[in-house]
Amino acid sequence: MAAALKRAYLAVYNWAVFSGWAQVLYYAVTTLLRSGHQDVYAAVERPLQLAQTAAVLEIIHGLVGLVRSPISATLPQIGSRLFVTWGILWSFPETTTHILVSSLVISWSITEIIRYSFFGTKELLGSAPSWLQWLRYSSFLIMYPTGISSELGLIYIALEYIKASEKYSFRLPNAWNYSFDYFYASIMVLLIYVPGSPHMYTYMLGQRKKALSKSKTM
Amino acid sequence: MKVSVVSRSGREVVKGGIQLSDDAKVADLQEAIHAKTKKYYPARQRLTLPVQPGKSGKPVVLNQKASLSDYCEKGSGSLTVVFKDLGPQVYYSTLFFWEYVGPLFIYPIFYYLPVYKYFGYEGERVIHPVQTYAMYYFCFHYFKRIMETFFVHRFSHATSPVSNVFRNCAYYWTFGAYIAYYCNHPLYTPVSDLQMKIGFGIGIVCQIANFYCHILLRNLRSPTGSGGYQIPCGFLFNIVTCANYTTEIYQWLGFNIATQTVAGYVFLAVAAAIMTNWALGKHSRLRKLFDGKDGRPKYPRRWVILPPFL
Repeated sequence: MAAALKRAYLAVYNWAVFSGWAQVLYYAVTTLLRSGHQDVYAAVERPLQLAQTAAVLEIIHGLVGLVRSPISATLPQIGSRLFVTWGILWSFPETTTHILVSSLVISWSITEIIRYSFFGTKELLGSAPSWLQWLRYSSFLIMYPTGISSELGLIYIALEYIKASEKYSFRLPNAWNYSFDYFYASIMVLLIYVPGSPHMYTYMLGQRKKALSKSKTM
Repeated sequence: MKVSVVSRSGREVVKGGIQLSDDAKVADLQEAIHAKTKKYYPARQRLTLPVQPGKSGKPVVLNQKASLSDYCEKGSGSLTVVFKDLGPQVYYSTLFFWEYVGPLFIYPIFYYLPVYKYFGYEGERVIHPVQTYAMYYFCFHYFKRIMETFFVHRFSHATSPVSNVFRNCAYYWTFGAYIAYYCNHPLYTPVSDLQMKIGFGIGIVCQIANFYCHILLRNLRSPTGSGGYQIPCGFLFNIVTCANYTTEIYQWLGFNIATQTVAGYVFLAVAAAIMTNWALGKHSRLRKLFDGKDGRPKYPRRWVILPPFL
């Protein structure tokens, strides 16, 4: 009974977030064709924010043991996504007309459409067709570099607006002797990408090896 | 007897195995492996019994002081052990020294030297009394830790992987600098005199209590370091398993009440989380070991680390 409930919940979750990302890709492509890259963000903003923020649930799924993914892989991934979605794009509209927004949302949405349909199919049918599994464990080979470059580019572009606006920053003196500088914090995030990206990429390479060799021996 | 030494993938680590006398101990095997392989000194070796196919659970780790015959398959005069290289090792005392010496020097750098000039704060700096007391308190704390490392603690596993030196030093030194930066800042806002006294008072009392806990823990182990677990008792250990962690956490709380910085409280939260993780492990290990069966005492009901919460 509990197992069936878990499967039903995960199936619903995965297909719901899938439809969010499908919308993002659809609006992004149609806007690019109809007007231009500067309007892409406005078209995708709502489904993007919804679908991306829903991923916070995945951290909880991992913590309570609903899924097997290690938190060391999900936390940095979701962290960087939320930082870019809310901390850069939503907070600094000056960045949203840049062409990197298009490459960003297209990279993200293609990856996520494949990923959520893969898991959604597994939950519904017990297994996923091998072509979908191949896609899930191969698309990152291109999408990670394009997505990560877009994220880095947008964070870098935002830096001058972050510094000028003083947004999210606290200055001394205050009773709790605390200060926070969003500009320097953003630079730290950029630096974390240096060891972080190879870590994520090699993690996925390992997962790919495990998954695709397993299906061969079956 | 003949011992064959294989890696986890089945490859022979020592070709042809090792011949030892029937009453040889595990330590003798470790010495022999070291002699044959040159680079794997005993502290780097993790020797386990092979896991039976189909059985799950953690493999049995060979106890250094035990006889090899204890682990032999019944009757046969031979033994197979699985070898894992733990990587280059350092003594725990080395590791602790380096992690603690950082904050000991870093904090006074922020107090004595004109560091804040480089952060853009020119001009004279007024030093509040609390900042001076905080510096003495913080430095004494890490000095105490170093002294305990060399003169008080008795370690169960003598070594730790070298990579832990970098990881642990990064943790202590970064947090040390983070706290020192705010506590010694030219724009630091002190709390009331009363709050400062209460904070440091709690801190000092808890540091003394913490020291006493360490003495009690030391006396649980014999000087030869024969290891093994005992039920801790006496003083606060009667009510909480990891009283040493408890007093450490409350000691930092005292420091933070006196100095009031978010940086200090962040450090407290992270340190408490790490110690809680350890405490849960220790508590469950002790409860499993002292289950009240076969003449063993039953582990009494106690708080794990932080009464009244856990």
